[in-house]
Amino acid sequence: MRARRALAFFLIIALALSALVAPVAAQPAGTLLVGLVAEPVNLDPAQVTDLNSNRVGRRVVETLVTFPDESTQVIPGLAESWTISKDGLQYTFKLRSGLKFHDGTSLNAEAVKFSIERQINTEHPAYKLGKYPFANYFFGNVKAVEVLSAERVAFLLKEPRASFLAILTAGAASIVSPTAVMKWGPDYPSHPVGTGPFRFASWDRGQRVVLEKNPAYWRYPVKIERVIYRPIVEDQARLTELLTGGLDLIVGVPADFVAELEKNPKVALLKQTGAHVWYLGINNQKKPFDDKRVRQALNYAVNKDAIVRDVLKGTGSLSKGPVLPGTWGADAALKAYPYDPEKAKKLLAEAGYPNGFSTTMWVPESGSGMQAPVAMSTVMQSNLKAVGVNVTLQTMEWGAYLTKLRTKEQELFALSWMAGTEDPDMVMYPLLHSSQWTPVGPNRAQYKNARFDELLQQARLTTDQAKRAALYREAQRILVDDAPWVFVDHEIQIAAFTKRVQGFKLHPSFDLRVETISLK
Amino acid sequence: MRSYLARRLLLLVPVLVGVSVVVFLVLHLSPGDPAEIMLGSQATQEDLQRLRRELGLTEPLHVQYLRWVSHVARGDLGRSLWMKRPVLDEVLNRYKATLVLTASGLLLSTLGGIALGVASAVRPHSLLDRASAVTSLFGASMPVFWLGIVLMVIFSLWLGWLPASGMWAPYGGGDLRDLLAHLVLPAVTLAAASLTIIARLTRSTMLDILSQDYIRTARAKGLVEGRVVFRHGLKNALIPIVTVVGVQAGYLLGGAVLTETVFAWPGVGLLMVQGILARDFPLVQGCVLVIALTFVLINLAVDLLYAYLDPRIQYE
Repeated sequence: MRARRALAFFLIIALALSALVAPVAAQPAGTLLVGLVAEPVNLDPAQVTDLNSNRVGRRVVETLVTFPDESTQVIPGLAESWTISKDGLQYTFKLRSGLKFHDGTSLNAEAVKFSIERQINTEHPAYKLGKYPFANYFFGNVKAVEVLSAERVAFLLKEPRASFLAILTAGAASIVSPTAVMKWGPDYPSHPVGTGPFRFASWDRGQRVVLEKNPAYWRYPVKIERVIYRPIVEDQARLTELLTGGLDLIVGVPADFVAELEKNPKVALLKQTGAHVWYLGINNQKKPFDDKRVRQALNYAVNKDAIVRDVLKGTGSLSKGPVLPGTWGADAALKAYPYDPEKAKKLLAEAGYPNGFSTTMWVPESGSGMQAPVAMSTVMQSNLKAVGVNVTLQTMEWGAYLTKLRTKEQELFALSWMAGTEDPDMVMYPLLHSSQWTPVGPNRAQYKNARFDELLQQARLTTDQAKRAALYREAQRILVDDAPWVFVDHEIQIAAFTKRVQGFKLHPSFDLRVETISLK
Repeated sequence: MRSYLARRLLLLVPVLVGVSVVVFLVLHLSPGDPAEIMLGSQATQEDLQRLRRELGLTEPLHVQYLRWVSHVARGDLGRSLWMKRPVLDEVLNRYKATLVLTASGLLLSTLGGIALGVASAVRPHSLLDRASAVTSLFGASMPVFWLGIVLMVIFSLWLGWLPASGMWAPYGGGDLRDLLAHLVLPAVTLAAASLTIIARLTRSTMLDILSQDYIRTARAKGLVEGRVVFRHGLKNALIPIVTVVGVQAGYLLGGAVLTETVFAWPGVGLLMVQGILARDFPLVQGCVLVIALTFVLINLAVDLLYAYLDPRIQYE
């Protein structure tokens, strides 16, 4: 009797469970499911600073100039052509005619002026509707935006800056519908309206953002009907969803999963080196690091190959300097510091430290673009110990770390930079020009070299790309010799996707361009 | 009774004020500020100062706090610094998901724990009792994130029985079955530790009670064993169990933070973690207020339950 009752009980439980076991629903045609590492913060690219928000928000809005697939060379976007005045102070754009925002209003010069001036002009009616964190960083040099006609608009600069076109490819330079911004006010970031390949459809907080195809997209017909973005923080959960049909595409595959996924016939992997650099900063003004030989010794002492191979497991490529190899500004002849502990010891002895010295290395536990900071730093710590440099690691939470780095107390510090573009001005100037020393700017290495400064300045004033490239090549050679950082790696982004995803390409700017995808 | 209830509800105010002051201080005194985190490593000093001014972070702490309190008193929890959305909307939206998860976890751990505890107490040192002791040790010592991932790998990745994350299917779905399928793994993960604690406590309390004289009397007068165990035994064992369940409710609310992160469950816990990382003061304050309020109310409910369980307890 008792046994039979127990059996009945278990049967009921089993039945109830089997009712729950959801057969994986057939995926609706044309819907792409994308896994994000974190939920977008908001969808107005002018008001966000994180990758995930931009990856979604930038499908809705577009910029005057943009990048082709797989490169960060500047090509026409919403502007079909442009001219730059001789003195480099005026950029005049001719907009494509007949383009409409998703709300039906027209894209015109007024909308361009509105989109930029809402961020920099404190008197602008939309200025108070949002917070624009990068307004000064990108547009601090813009004196005014002038409407010349419905389709012609001019940017007047305070001083010439050759990288201005690269700046206009940034998310913050996206052209938004003025009507929508004024209609939604401070809630506009949850209701973005632009001209992009997808229009905003819905957002279930914490669960999904849905974008629908813009049937009237001007560049090419979009082949998928909608994209659903799902924020899934936990790596294993994201991977499981990919393998069980809950996701079609994930980016930022953790290094530890790469080998496993490569063997899995259900998914394909794609790799692409991004416009990113990971470096160990050295405070160039502090003893003993004010001696070039000490800084060079650190570069010889660190085994970057081992870091890239064993810690990053193929998610990073060796760095020779701040500029991404293979781009127009890079110096192909640049030599990376080889791993040579003997040479390091010799240089330290020459600099007066035959027995080495002790120092402190600050490391964030995680952070945007930081890859595996603690593991990478631990390898560097043991490498440095081998040449007599005793390093104390101090790990910090990202927010606390950023505050601490605003001082001048740092000795060694791990940091990375995502320029989003290949223009060397966007990485070398802020990180290494002496006008950008902390706390004013992000030159936390307190690096200064008069000739280097002069080359960067000259390159800013030169609009001819070939001439700029020559200036940057010389600057990079100075940099490698001065060794203000230990150059470590450039991140290789890895995407994994199911076999139904066709035509996907990763972009070196870390953007996630799902509009090129078609589904099988 | 009514005046007791009124007094307890009135006590909510100082508790919530205390909680908000502590959270406010902890957030503001820990290094890192929202402007710094929003701008990231690229920020210039000028950008930072401008953003700090715009976010109202340059004012003295007590001014910031009082301004926040005056808004809260009017039912306005402010706007998230980071998401730019009204905090109240955001928190209430996510609170439903947390309630579903925590309530399921609590139900599972209470019912499961009591059932397991009673079964072990009725037959001490039986196979079931020993198995339950081992499982309890296991359940209580496994960290939530580890257990969650193991369950996910087994039931989603290998067996393909249950969805790995989220609260609803990414498309379609939306019915009760969909919700339940998504709820199983997070609820079990969340409930595991509490279930074992309740089971152990139930077992020891029941063992104690089942050896009492009145139990012998009940058996002697010929009552069915089930009635002896449940009516005479369990009901008298419930007071300490209910107390622990109340405490576990708080533990579950805390555990929900981790569980929600592992399973991408769209609740307050996940929101709060993101808020803390971004030093989004209004958002974290809003989340903490809601969670603190829930915890206090659960405790009140537990206290009221005592009177029901034991008529000798009275409130005035």
